[in-house]
Amino acid sequence: MQDVAVVGVGLHRFGKTGDDVVGNKSVTELCRIAVERALKDAGVSWRDIQAVSAASSRFSGGKGWGLNGNDVVEEMGSTGIPVYNLSAGCAAGGNAFNVGYSLVAGGVYDMVLVVGGEVMPKGMIQTSGVEEATDPEFLRQRCVGMPGPSFWATLARRRMHDYGTTEEQMARVTVKARKCSVGNPYARFQKEVSLEDVLKSPYVSNPLRLFEICPVSNGAAAAVICSAKRARQLTRQPVLVASSAVATIGFDDALPRSLAVPVPNGPSRHTEVYAAVTRAFEAAGVGPRDLSFVELQDNTCYYELAFPEEWGLCQPGEAERLHAAGETLPTGRMPVNPSGGFVSFGEATTAMGVFQICELTWQLRGESGARQVPGAKLGLAQTNGLGGNATAAILKR
Amino acid sequence: MSEHGKACVPGLFTDDNGARLLGTRCSTCNTPYFPKVTRCHNPRCSESRLVDASFGGRGTIWSYSVADFAPPPPHKHDKPFKPYVIAVVDLDEGLRIVGQMVDGLDQASVGAPVTLVIDTLYHEDGQAYSTWKFKRI
Repeated sequence: MQDVAVVGVGLHRFGKTGDDVVGNKSVTELCRIAVERALKDAGVSWRDIQAVSAASSRFSGGKGWGLNGNDVVEEMGSTGIPVYNLSAGCAAGGNAFNVGYSLVAGGVYDMVLVVGGEVMPKGMIQTSGVEEATDPEFLRQRCVGMPGPSFWATLARRRMHDYGTTEEQMARVTVKARKCSVGNPYARFQKEVSLEDVLKSPYVSNPLRLFEICPVSNGAAAAVICSAKRARQLTRQPVLVASSAVATIGFDDALPRSLAVPVPNGPSRHTEVYAAVTRAFEAAGVGPRDLSFVELQDNTCYYELAFPEEWGLCQPGEAERLHAAGETLPTGRMPVNPSGGFVSFGEATTAMGVFQICELTWQLRGESGARQVPGAKLGLAQTNGLGGNATAAILKR
Repeated sequence: MSEHGKACVPGLFTDDNGARLLGTRCSTCNTPYFPKVTRCHNPRCSESRLVDASFGGRGTIWSYSVADFAPPPPHKHDKPFKPYVIAVVDLDEGLRIVGQMVDGLDQASVGAPVTLVIDTLYHEDGQAYSTWKFKRI
């Protein structure tokens, strides 16, 4: 195994179809702009890329087959390089990073492009793509009608029961997330919101409100990764990949993600996320308290409270107090989502794992401006997606 | 067909002698499944030995939420859309299952007792289609 570095990153700002940011750009055009920025940032040319690890979209481009990596290669110039198209629901970008990382770490290639992008349909994500009675996700949506926000809302409601969390405390997480996004040139939303704004926004799925749930966005993200040896020829201070891990859901996971599971004996957590994050800690030889900051998948403000507890960054039930004390801000003791997170970007589903790699890289280089975590040395990125997929990566400087 | 219409997906439940969900249970490790499976999914189970099993009766609400906006397809609903409560219920028979509640939000609370019922989900071409739901006891 050889050490792997991130030498170039690029984002296309996130937006909504028809707005001034993404307009009617295709997913391939969004990806091309992100890739051009990542190549420029790395100081390499397209011909230096030896393979592409791409997130497969279910919603846009890819010739309807999730061949989004092939679209990128055609657009940039068909050099004949290998393309890996990875599908893992909303974890696809993180999966693509893991596969790219593994290929470089294993010495198969010396320089790989990781890319993900989306042009999303309006409204709530249609989770089931098939109408087959043998597909549990189809049955869940046809027989019950429980879209993503309602799944998150049941978890939020349960937290309110377990810890006495109030709607105001959850709303304050959104206020904090949007505060971080101010000055982030890539965020879809770059303005603060007040507690009153959040609490006045309508319920999408009670107890969660419109401003507390990430909308869908169009956007793209790209990263050039290579061996640490090659990286040192390009830059004096490369950002290194301390670890990258992938996991899937455990049989004993009792969160309500399918139609039915056995009633568990005790409390439940996101087993796939816990497994990926734990593996990432072990492989990097670090613990949760060593992190300078995390970029986690906040489809809703609930996750800024729950995930740090599930991973041991703080004690169960402690997150509200840490938020109230400002400890999750970039200047706090446990910075969470200094980028502004999904709540500020919106979710361009398969781009998100790569978007997090971009933010980690900028933070570790000290290039994050107003949202900079002072002295950031070690950052964790985490995604999870339909099917029980999860990824975690730890980057260091 | 029950008084609440045809099943929205055939073969998942019955209303003939009270509401029952049609599943399986592994007789080796006792794991309950709904819908039916053809192999025990428990990686620690030594041998998959599945028998038909049905589930229903009483349970308690583990948590709940509200679909305040209409979910996208493949969900089907009557128009205009009426928000409904979704409950995650731990049945006494050992299954944690999701379903709509026939009652409103004022009847939902964590730990509240409910029972499984069959109820109308939507109408299409003059025909009612049913699903399983929960009713507050």
